[in-house]
Amino acid sequence: MSRLQLDNVFKQFGDQVAVRDFSLSVEDGELVSFLGPSGCGKTTTLRMTAGFESPDSGSVVVDGIDVTDLPPNRRGMGMVFQGYALFPNMTAAENVDFGLAVRKRPAAERRARVAELLELFGLAHVAGSYPHQMSGGQQQRVALARAVAIQPGVLLLDEPLSAVDAKVREELRTEIRRMQVQLHITTILVTHDQSEALSISDRVVVMNRGAIEEVGTPTQIYAEPRSAFTAGFIGAMNEIPVRVISSSGGVVERGGKRVTAPVAAELADGELGLLLVRPESLEPLGPSSASLNGDLTLTGRVEVQTFLGATTRLLLREVPAAGDRSAPPSTRLLAVDVPSASAGQWPAGSEMAVRIPVKASRVIAGQSAAARPPTPAKLDA
Amino acid sequence: MSNPSITGEATEGAIAILPGVHARDNAARRTGRARRTPVWATVVLVVAAVYFLLPLYATAVFGFSTGKHFTLQPLFDGLADEGFHSSLYLSVLYSVVTTVLALAVVAPTAYLVELRFPRLRATVEFLTILPFVIPPIIMAVGLSVVYGINSPVNLIASDWAPVLLIGGYFVLTLPFTFRAIDNALRAVDVRMLSEAAASLGASPTRTFLRVIVPSISLGLVSAALLAFTTAMGEFTLASLLGYATFPVYLLNINGYQPREGEALVLVSFFITWAGVIALAAIARRTPGTQIVRGGPM
Repeated sequence: MSRLQLDNVFKQFGDQVAVRDFSLSVEDGELVSFLGPSGCGKTTTLRMTAGFESPDSGSVVVDGIDVTDLPPNRRGMGMVFQGYALFPNMTAAENVDFGLAVRKRPAAERRARVAELLELFGLAHVAGSYPHQMSGGQQQRVALARAVAIQPGVLLLDEPLSAVDAKVREELRTEIRRMQVQLHITTILVTHDQSEALSISDRVVVMNRGAIEEVGTPTQIYAEPRSAFTAGFIGAMNEIPVRVISSSGGVVERGGKRVTAPVAAELADGELGLLLVRPESLEPLGPSSASLNGDLTLTGRVEVQTFLGATTRLLLREVPAAGDRSAPPSTRLLAVDVPSASAGQWPAGSEMAVRIPVKASRVIAGQSAAARPPTPAKLDA
Repeated sequence: MSNPSITGEATEGAIAILPGVHARDNAARRTGRARRTPVWATVVLVVAAVYFLLPLYATAVFGFSTGKHFTLQPLFDGLADEGFHSSLYLSVLYSVVTTVLALAVVAPTAYLVELRFPRLRATVEFLTILPFVIPPIIMAVGLSVVYGINSPVNLIASDWAPVLLIGGYFVLTLPFTFRAIDNALRAVDVRMLSEAAASLGASPTRTFLRVIVPSISLGLVSAALLAFTTAMGEFTLASLLGYATFPVYLLNINGYQPREGEALVLVSFFITWAGVIALAAIARRTPGTQIVRGGPM
């Protein structure tokens, strides 16, 4: 039996649908992230799980018991809020103790538990400090310790790291994962930060416009996105137009060349599809590269070089092959990641040929990104 | 933390080496602000001081004299007066009850408006400022008609008479108490704190008493202060409804024993002052309130 189950949850604010047909089952000890742009319904779903909003229809079930109509204080879920929500009049230790005091645990047990948790989160030295005397990272640790103290059936994290700076964020997310595994707490993490979701989740729920776009392990979501939305939202993804020759046989054509590739079932023969390929999968071709083993190639002019550390990202404007009527040139700049050491070979303005490893890619239906309304994530990229 | 202290020592050392120069620099820096104070500010300050202190001084001169020389006799006479004791007791009692009532009613109301009924805010705000619009004399007349001796609900002649005055005081303090508490509530994230407490299992009552009240303690202190002083100084309602409260007594005694009256005015002034200082001291010692911000880390 799953620990937490959401069945066809639906929520509307006025005539705005916030969450539609949300069904998900979370296993015991699992960490599931809700990932999506702002306004996608992920926080509303979390708040319905916690009991701060009630769904218009559908149900929330914990350990087989329907809690849809229970007030939040009787659901036994721990929650960490975006803005910490520490009680300003209480010290770190008193904050952690609050839930235990509510539960009327014996004083000795409470003291021991608070001390243990402060130790676990590296907060022993600030036990007597008030929230305003602590750093953002410390405050967030106290918020976590406080939520975990009540041994919640489900731990809900609402963008817990968005208010702390980048370095602390990375540190804390590892810490959250370590704590979650160690204490074996079923956890839901709401985030708009894909690296956060991908790095610490067992499964990721990608949400868009109030609905689940797809659910999968971080690897699945990253390597084999099933929708154009996921592909565009998670990481950088090149979308290269190809003509579907045979959907069932997985044959596509581009530049007069036919290759086999995994093709999404909903694509009909003769339609245009989008070949998805990550910047790091595109291979630069030297002048002497010979055998292409049934892969596609593409030539572009380097417009921008962006240094990313170990790799450098080159943005290419495609140079259309003469006489190609099978598929239009890519409307977007193509991103190619190359080792920074060799990036000097392709200065801005130079031409570059790349190999598209077709078998490692996927062909999906969808408008090209230019025709799609931009998502907030797109603007970030 | 070690760096600043090293710099500090170094600076002190430099001052020791060149005492004249640095001392003069420091003195200039310290007094720089005072020197820049414009003339008009000083004038305003002096005028205000005269405006506020002169009546106090005049009261003291009149109250603490026989007409020819200084004496504390009128003060002792006044303090010994039976009417003084009973009226002060009555005023303090009514004011304390009013204050407790105001906090007990307004704080939960403002909290609920903020948390559950934000759309009612405008209505509630309007209701609370009604005492500014309707003069106390209208309220006194209204109350005596509705609860007077000719009314079926005759409170004035019953044992419940104090309820009438305290109820009136409560209404008069609303503009101050609601505003003070509402401002404090809006300064903390009431919704998030309440949700955090609920997620930890706290009932709404416990959340309010253990989390919200301590978080808005400064606002509650100012509300209490405003309610108490308003009730202590209220004259119109008490006089028209026939209660011998302290302000009513002061006016009466001024008619036949003016020196004693003035001496007691000063006493009441210092009582109020002591009350304000005491409340401010309590506020200063409340942990987690804004006032300790910037204290030792």
